[in-house]
Amino acid sequence: MTAYSTIGKSIPKIDVKEKVTGRALYAADLKMPGMLYGKIVRCLDHAHARVLKLDLSVAAKMPGVVKVLGPDDIKAHSYNTGVLDLMVPEPVGKMLGDIEDQTVFTKHVKHQGDAICGIIAHSEEAAERAAEKVIVEYEPLPVYLTAEESMQPDAVQFTSLKPGNRAFQLPGEMFPNNAYGWGNVDEAMAAADFVVEDTFYVPKQKQCQMEPHAYIALFDDGGRLQCWTSTQMPKCVHIKLARMFDLPMSRVTVTQTVIGGGFGARLGMIGEPLACAMAMAVPGRPVKVLYTREEDWIASESRHPGKYWMKIGFSKDGAPVAVDALFRSYKGGYYTQGSGVAFTTGSWLGGMYKWGSCRYHGETYYTNHAPCGAYRGYGNPQTNFVMEQLVERACSKLGVDPVEWRKKWHKGVGDDGWCPGVTYPSCALDECLDRGAAAIGWTEKRAKYANQTGVKRRGVGVSVMNHTSGAFPMLLEHTTCTARLNEDATAEIMLACSDMGQGAHTALQQIAAEALGFRFEDIHIKAGDSDSNGFDIGAHASRTIYVGGAAVKSACEDARKELFARAAQYLECTVEQLTMRDKIIYLEGASNRSISAQEICARGVYNFVDAASGQRTGIPGQIQGYSSFLPTSNSPPFAACFAEVEIDTETGELTLIELVNAHDVGKAIHPASVEGNLEGGAQQGMGFALTEEIYYDKNGLCLNNSFTDYKMLGPSDMPKLTTILVENPDPLGPFGAKSAGEAGIVAPIGAVANAVFHALGIQIIEAPITAEKILEAIKKNGGV
Amino acid sequence: MKKCEITLTVNGEQLTTMVAANQTLLEVLRENLGMTETKYGCGTGECGACTVLLDGTKPILSCLTLAAAMDGRHITTAAGLARDGQLHPVQQAFVDESGIQCGFCTPGMVMKTVGILARTPNPSDEEIRHGLEGNICRCTGYAKIVSSVKRAAELMADQSAAE
Ligand code: FES
Ligand code: FES
Repeated sequence: MTAYSTIGKSIPKIDVKEKVTGRALYAADLKMPGMLYGKIVRCLDHAHARVLKLDLSVAAKMPGVVKVLGPDDIKAHSYNTGVLDLMVPEPVGKMLGDIEDQTVFTKHVKHQGDAICGIIAHSEEAAERAAEKVIVEYEPLPVYLTAEESMQPDAVQFTSLKPGNRAFQLPGEMFPNNAYGWGNVDEAMAAADFVVEDTFYVPKQKQCQMEPHAYIALFDDGGRLQCWTSTQMPKCVHIKLARMFDLPMSRVTVTQTVIGGGFGARLGMIGEPLACAMAMAVPGRPVKVLYTREEDWIASESRHPGKYWMKIGFSKDGAPVAVDALFRSYKGGYYTQGSGVAFTTGSWLGGMYKWGSCRYHGETYYTNHAPCGAYRGYGNPQTNFVMEQLVERACSKLGVDPVEWRKKWHKGVGDDGWCPGVTYPSCALDECLDRGAAAIGWTEKRAKYANQTGVKRRGVGVSVMNHTSGAFPMLLEHTTCTARLNEDATAEIMLACSDMGQGAHTALQQIAAEALGFRFEDIHIKAGDSDSNGFDIGAHASRTIYVGGAAVKSACEDARKELFARAAQYLECTVEQLTMRDKIIYLEGASNRSISAQEICARGVYNFVDAASGQRTGIPGQIQGYSSFLPTSNSPPFAACFAEVEIDTETGELTLIELVNAHDVGKAIHPASVEGNLEGGAQQGMGFALTEEIYYDKNGLCLNNSFTDYKMLGPSDMPKLTTILVENPDPLGPFGAKSAGEAGIVAPIGAVANAVFHALGIQIIEAPITAEKILEAIKKNGGV
Repeated sequence: MKKCEITLTVNGEQLTTMVAANQTLLEVLRENLGMTETKYGCGTGECGACTVLLDGTKPILSCLTLAAAMDGRHITTAAGLARDGQLHPVQQAFVDESGIQCGFCTPGMVMKTVGILARTPNPSDEEIRHGLEGNICRCTGYAKIVSSVKRAAELMADQSAAE
């Protein structure tokens, strides 16, 4: 084991003190001189309608109102809040067919909460009062809440660019027959000894990040557009705003404020276009736009729900000879990440087991829900719920232990990962399965709960998952980093990677310290400033440590190389003869010949010409390392999760007893953060499986847009939670690290569902698995 | 809207401000007094992000409390718990146990913890979890928050032993 100075240590995170006192500044906390307040007027009573008349005249005359803005007052291009258009080359983009179907304000309401117009006023209250005076007349349109409805030939078209309201399907030019996969599925399926098949439903889950969206935008007197936002992708927002408002990027600044949770909710743009459009209307005045929780709920993006059909063929020996699947999701009113989720949902499927053949169709149709975008796991939770339950069904038919089956058939080192042709460089899934099984007492409990009678039944279930560390090679992967050494031998690390609370900046600081050979406290991470930070694609695909960390490592190594080159010059030796301890560089074997990093750095900056000799006093120039890092690898993490539940067969009530989540993380840079991410992921995953779904009435109006009505697991609902970090350093990740950001949410879903199956012998194929669904299933089954 | 003048003692400091009858304590703290350490998460009493302490130990939801009703009362916010740059034991416990991720729920969680420990200085796991109900965290799965509360109980006990 390599001895590291800070890697692998759970030192206090760099931002905890300001967070624990509440002094960390989130976007809503900012106030600026001359600041105005922008209120977005949203359609609350319809999910699908045309605006027949918009009368802003009364609102405009209300006290404190500075300006009212309707759709025709906005000078900006239409846009797509998603970012996939930036991540693929143009020809691929054309094939994928991402479109820009959003406008700042709309005349065609496509979901409840769609933005109609805006009010700018001297106070939030004045803006709200004026908003009440806006007169809108609507022509209600038919409301489509499923793909099956919106695909009907006579349905109202959401956009002329997507006939039949099909926002996306895997493009035939890239994937023959619009399907991803390999082998001959039809033949293999026909030859299979048995098949398992079902159509599942996966729910519309909300990220519920605790900080509601908030922005300040300013079109300053110098003609620059500035935006303060908690986006998790500052550089994507930077270019998207520039394009939208026809400004050069040098005239747009995005300042990232402290982020109060993301989970995908801040992937790409959200309210930035609206805040900026309002600011453009009042040059020189900052405009603050705060989303209420209700707005955040009904107008911002969520997970893609939909029907997910899957069929798996097995041979007698348990080999999964064919998998065939179709995920048809309900897109919501706008395109956003339409091509992304529909695609990756199948990637996780393909990457998990040694399928003899595989065929996956992904498509998504417009519906009158709030748009679906990115949510932690990006399709993987949906696949886990479906695939893992079907595998379980097969194991029970085969009479094999589900842990043993998974050990035999999961993909591993050298197998194709989620992207065919890109193999897994490391895999510790067997160890995850072994350690997880031991921790929960798998063998004993499987036997103990096998033949239960009585009202209360217990069950244990297992599930496995693979995820990703960055989006290479499918999507653009790129982070730039500058490591500038100060004259006192401390360092400024500049990059645009985001810390959404997952602890990324602390881990990046650890990586910088390790790579430079400096102390942790010598490093400062300067992020969140689009002016001083170079390109970074943003926080998504669990890439920040794997790709961002590698960029930091490479920039720091670059700086260190220069530092050593100068030391060698000063000490008149070769760099190979040098070592550094406590920032003093020694000539090995000659402890009296040394120079401090501080002296080298200082002499580079404070570099004078000696009056007597006319010579420079040292090697001139401030040391700066740089990396424009484009990875050539991807090292997906794996995990095995075990859940134990107890079900009251009379009430359907389910109690979570225990969850063990064993993760193959490569190397944990900051173990407490990694655990924290996995624990938080588990809360969200169990929520997906058991309680969380946004419900709509038949008119498309949201029925549970609050924390009371949308049920997340609270502190007392959480089971005993055991997180096991399986550390098996990856050969390619920075210091052996693989990703851990999204992964935690995935496997608990299948594990909980399979525990239900074990307890009842019945599978619930619609998530969330509520007490009502359990009771109904028991009834349908004629009891348990 | 009719306004009236109220005096609040916030973090030991007496402050006088004009408030409208319908203004919440959360709004007055954040907007009138610029004390943004208390967070808005829902505004409807469902998340706990806005929790402050009334009279030193009683957690209240400032988004559901009318400011005018607080005239003459003592309020403590998360920033006020720390003294001279020195964290309060409860805050130190959240730091020590990594009970903080995005930090948005943290001020409220810290306030709630002070309240729990004032009632139950040595709480069981169950008492902690029960006590935290009403304060939502979406980042941590509550695991490290529960251990932070436990650690806080220890630190508070050490502190009172030392006094
Ligand atoms: S803001 Fe007060 S409880 Fe949510
Ligand atoms: S730390 Fe993010 S909500 Fe609790």
